[in-house]
Amino acid sequence: MKSKIIGGLILIVVIIAIIVFQFLNSNKPEQITVSGYLGGEKVGLMEDEEVKKILKDKYGLTVEYTKAGSIEMIEQDSSDKDYLFPSSQTALELFNQTKSDKLYKSEIVFNSPIVIYTWKPIAEALIQNGIVEQKDNSYYIADTTKLINLVIDKKKWSDIGVNDLYGYVTIQSTDPNKSNSGNMFAGLVANILNNQTVVDSSTVDKILPQLKDFFGKIGYMEHSSGDLFEQYLKTGMGAKPMIAGYENQMIEFAIENPNDWNAVKDQVAVLYPEPTVWSSHPLIALNEKGAKLIEAMQDPEIQKIAWTKHGFRTGVNGTINTNVEGFYGIPQNINAVIQMPNPDTMQKIMDGIK
Amino acid sequence: MEKKKSLAIIIAIVLIVIIVLALAGGSFKKIAQPSVTLNILSGSENRVLEPILQKFEDENNIKVNMTYEGSVDIMQELQNGASAYDAVFPANSIWISMGDTNLKVKHQESITTTPVVFGIKKSVAEKLGFVGKDVTTKDILEKIKSKELSFMMTSATQSNSGATAYLGFIYALLNNPEVITTDDLDNETLKTDLTTILSGVNRSSGSSDWLKDLFLQSDYDAMVNYESVIIDTNKELVSQGKEPLYVIYPKDGLGIADSPLGYIDNGDSTKEEAFLKLQEYLTSDEVKPELLNLGRRTAFAINFENNNKDVFNPDWGIDTQKVLNVMKMPSADVIQKALNMYQTELRKPSLTVYCLDYSGSMYGDGVESLRNAMSMLLDQQKASEYMLQASPKDVTIVIPFDSNVLDVWKAEGNDSTQLANLQKEIDNFEPQGGTNIYAPLLTAMDEISKYNVNDYTTSIILMSDGQSNAGSIKQVEDKWNSSNLDIPIFSITFGNSDDTQLQELADFSKARVFDGKENLEKAFKEAKGYN
Repeated sequence: MKSKIIGGLILIVVIIAIIVFQFLNSNKPEQITVSGYLGGEKVGLMEDEEVKKILKDKYGLTVEYTKAGSIEMIEQDSSDKDYLFPSSQTALELFNQTKSDKLYKSEIVFNSPIVIYTWKPIAEALIQNGIVEQKDNSYYIADTTKLINLVIDKKKWSDIGVNDLYGYVTIQSTDPNKSNSGNMFAGLVANILNNQTVVDSSTVDKILPQLKDFFGKIGYMEHSSGDLFEQYLKTGMGAKPMIAGYENQMIEFAIENPNDWNAVKDQVAVLYPEPTVWSSHPLIALNEKGAKLIEAMQDPEIQKIAWTKHGFRTGVNGTINTNVEGFYGIPQNINAVIQMPNPDTMQKIMDGIK
Repeated sequence: MEKKKSLAIIIAIVLIVIIVLALAGGSFKKIAQPSVTLNILSGSENRVLEPILQKFEDENNIKVNMTYEGSVDIMQELQNGASAYDAVFPANSIWISMGDTNLKVKHQESITTTPVVFGIKKSVAEKLGFVGKDVTTKDILEKIKSKELSFMMTSATQSNSGATAYLGFIYALLNNPEVITTDDLDNETLKTDLTTILSGVNRSSGSSDWLKDLFLQSDYDAMVNYESVIIDTNKELVSQGKEPLYVIYPKDGLGIADSPLGYIDNGDSTKEEAFLKLQEYLTSDEVKPELLNLGRRTAFAINFENNNKDVFNPDWGIDTQKVLNVMKMPSADVIQKALNMYQTELRKPSLTVYCLDYSGSMYGDGVESLRNAMSMLLDQQKASEYMLQASPKDVTIVIPFDSNVLDVWKAEGNDSTQLANLQKEIDNFEPQGGTNIYAPLLTAMDEISKYNVNDYTTSIILMSDGQSNAGSIKQVEDKWNSSNLDIPIFSITFGNSDDTQLQELADFSKARVFDGKENLEKAFKEAKGYN
């Protein structure tokens, strides 16, 4: 008798265990893995444990990625990928031109302006030279044309009063043919050289020689924005006096490494060019699985994390309402923005710099 | 009966537990950490990190396997997919950037930084007026050209510090243009100047680490190396009661080794996890002081307040607050062209004598490996893959031996027919007989004395698979001393070679022994990289 009761109890326990297990399972979305090419600047976001958890628990997504430059990833074979996540409108437009049959869906999920990262002594010298202005803790490059001309006119650092540095003024960027921040910077410089109006097919030939000269002075160009930014921070003012990058890179660095940020925050300076260009981050889905990722990345929680922890602006105009803790000098709005040249013109610019 | 019942119940419970565990299997975390091995392709300057890595291995049950290669080799390996490796750890991120055409590297992060500098004996630096003022690369090169300063550097095509220094020389000799172009490299004055400067490099080396050892054994005024290696060298010099080196950071800039550690994604998530753990460990506040003790910089923006004056000793010219100017790396095609020119045109020509063991025990697979290894150096197509091509002024001599010297074969220059003929001799010769490793060395020295050794980077590379049962080292050492030629006798071990015998040769001739037992080709490649 006793044994019958025990047997019955065991049976009930087993049934309950099975039901509970089934229930837990059914409440979890179906788990899939999506893989694709990712711009280096978004690696931090995709590796964020909170983001990973939301993606997994709420959307059933595990995201795998191969780091690639925005332009590079469009040119790579993507037949085994579900998504591409570059950081420019140009990359998307290039994709539409060359591989439109592969497009399943696309959506711009983040924005970040192109900025110039430099060091305090250089920022001060630029203020002295009437190139940079300081407003509400932010540095603006008020005379972008003058800055670009320092490079083109072969000015030395000593000419603008930075005596610790040897050689000529240069602004380094990633390779415009490989990576997006360099590509956008090339578009911006082209516009500046064209009297701060958007370059098109009728004006590009005129500015191309100067543009080539400008980029020729950089020498070796990195392929990834993340790597260039890392080198800027690690190797210092003598190695990387000025680099072009995304606004979000410094914010992300500050939040992820508060101690390191404290060590460098009084040395670095973020310059906002007026005008600048927006780097939009379109997520290109190549299939249904990729489309699922688009849906997930637009989740309000993820969008909030994207700004507060990784510095990607998300609204239509990229206006920010929340401050990033411990970080100052971030303008609430980016007002002076110029459009990127159209894809045909950009192609000409890229070929010209190659 | 009761017993049977309780047995049935126990069985039932066990079964249920098994079923539940099986159902829930996926959600249970494995408790025991699986043992993972990380195979890391690294620059030789990271050999000093081994004790730090050992601690990580012990604490985490993760095995770290370091394979040391030169920068160019690392770049090449990445271009070929590097599928045998899980991570890459070169001296400079440019080698990853140029090599990672397959886009397999991720989580790349700089672990430490150290600038490439000139270390000059303080008394010499003072005499030359280099102390207490800004010095440019050009100032130093003038003194090298006028023979007021002798110096050592690693091979530009094998090692990052050598490549950096060499590119720095080009900038300086071109009067510091904004950036070097491919056309600039055709400048004849530049080539003549570079040839003169490189002819002053009396002993070369494939690795920055070994350059230190060689420097300690020799009597040179200066070397180009990493700040961290100069610090290491100075510690030893001081302990030997010798004069330390004074560090000069050229005002016009050399380079900075940013030592990036990157993960090579071959799709194994366990390895990725282990990698990230290692990376976090190496950049942790716990490890940073240890890295600083090795003379590596760990601070952001490279400058820092110096609280470690025993290591970053200001008396040695070390300045942790100085703004370090860095030359701009030229574009990839310029770098490639410059390195090719170094290898085939500008470097001091090499006079290399290979003494190859053709004793009976080499028969079969042994001699086959040997032939393949030699063809990698003699076949110029293959050699160019590793930047080990011959130059028109190189001399290659091959001496096959068993218990006697069997022949002497020679090729002068880089003519491919001549080199192919040499290979033919190597291929057609069959092993037999005993072993005497000393006899061919005597012949090698005789052959070398027919040339003006000052015009060459001269070396003997002895490969043997057995124990010498004839001849004596005494005879070799006496001849070496009396010839006064300072020729390193490198050895490559193979099969059952007697490593003590080979090490003795390396010791007195200031050379080293390469392990060819696992990979003969690699050993030959490495040995040749020192010339």
